[in-house]
Amino acid sequence: MRSPLPRIERARPLLGTTVSIRVEGLAEDKAHRAIDAAFAEIALVHGLMSFQEQDSDISRLNYDACDRTIEVHPATFEVLHWAGRIAEASAGAFDVTVAPKLVAWDLLPAPRCRRQPDPAACWRDVELGDDCSSVRFRRPLWIDVSGIAKGYAVDRAIECIAHFGAQQVCVNAGGDLRVIGPDEERIALQLPMPADALPVLNIQDAAVASSSGHRTPHLFDGKICGSHVDTHRGTPVSANRFASVVAETCLLADALTKPVLALGSESEDMLRAFGAIAYFHDPASGWRQIAAISP
Amino acid sequence: MRAAFSLVPFATLALVEPAHAVVYMSLEQAQTMMFPGATLTPDFRMLSKEQAGAIEKAVGVAVRNRDLKIWRVSTGGWFIADQVVGKHEYIPIALGLDAGGAVMAVEILEYREAYGDQVRNPAWRGQFTGKRHGAAPTLTKDIQNISGATLSSRHITDGIKRLLATYALAIAQD
Repeated sequence: MRSPLPRIERARPLLGTTVSIRVEGLAEDKAHRAIDAAFAEIALVHGLMSFQEQDSDISRLNYDACDRTIEVHPATFEVLHWAGRIAEASAGAFDVTVAPKLVAWDLLPAPRCRRQPDPAACWRDVELGDDCSSVRFRRPLWIDVSGIAKGYAVDRAIECIAHFGAQQVCVNAGGDLRVIGPDEERIALQLPMPADALPVLNIQDAAVASSSGHRTPHLFDGKICGSHVDTHRGTPVSANRFASVVAETCLLADALTKPVLALGSESEDMLRAFGAIAYFHDPASGWRQIAAISP
Repeated sequence: MRAAFSLVPFATLALVEPAHAVVYMSLEQAQTMMFPGATLTPDFRMLSKEQAGAIEKAVGVAVRNRDLKIWRVSTGGWFIADQVVGKHEYIPIALGLDAGGAVMAVEILEYREAYGDQVRNPAWRGQFTGKRHGAAPTLTKDIQNISGATLSSRHITDGIKRLLATYALAIAQD
């Protein structure tokens, strides 16, 4: 039985985008308290994992984690742990140490650091302590977790509201979103280029995230490219590719869009390993579904 | 976890407003939520051209409207209603400041988002004119969310910077 309680939805600017939270099945004052608490979780992740803010965990790591062990918040540690797992499963197609490329392409400002990043550094050089709180870099490097932290923030917000007993919840951080509850929800996918049809996903108890490079176009070798890095070639992924990933958690959906953009159909094994599906589009071959939900 | 993908031809959507609009809360609701139990007294004012110029110089953001909608809060603090220019539309926002002028809360009151620039582009939409068949489905009414490359909230954060400079230059110095 669905209760006749109101649907409450609010939005705030966080994580560099607009984050909206919709709650159904809670009395109005409780819904607002739940949403306040969820926004606080997102603000916490924003403060810990921002590349630009100087006192974030990420900025402290980029400053001198190559010279000493740095203590980080458990949330930052959890994100780095997942970043390592996804890097391994994607053979490095997902790699948080690509930040120097993004800085070189003027997509990120150069961070404060004791030593310039080593061009040979990769995700394997991020060493996580057994204490689940300390991090050290084996070489000088810069990490940027913005390709995974947004999804993680959505998960934290969802879990926070679930504790309040809401029936249906949707948290949407600029298109990286997760819904929980009995109702199916309909999501329009926004392709970067003209198409003759509107792609629509119906999801229930699932997360969706999408990526393409078209909002941050820049010229590389005379070609228009986006903000995503093909780590195997060290070049940007074509701005015209688009990928949406559906997964159990928004952290997975968010992070997996990047290797899917770079690898296309070759990302199937990785997607299966995480129980995820991708919908991939490029102008030459149109839509492709990669992997499937296991029955 | 369940997911199903489908493609809906734009031709059948041509008559439907191609935007996703949400009203989150009214101005009054934002006031009550940010300052429960307090009385808000309008203290609306018009910024002088000099003040607007000083604000623009301080934050590098244009002051498009010198009409400042600000309320004084009985328990200390200020409430400002403003609009920022999004990619296509105005986005109304509410800002709560404490007695010292620090941000207590920001709420976006309404949001509109286009399904895609191609849908907004009249030439692109025009190619479907006359190709409609059957009744337009109500599909867009049911769409709760859009997933695409992340939209920047730069216009909102710029708007907040502008309002904080407005407070510092025009309110705190009164």
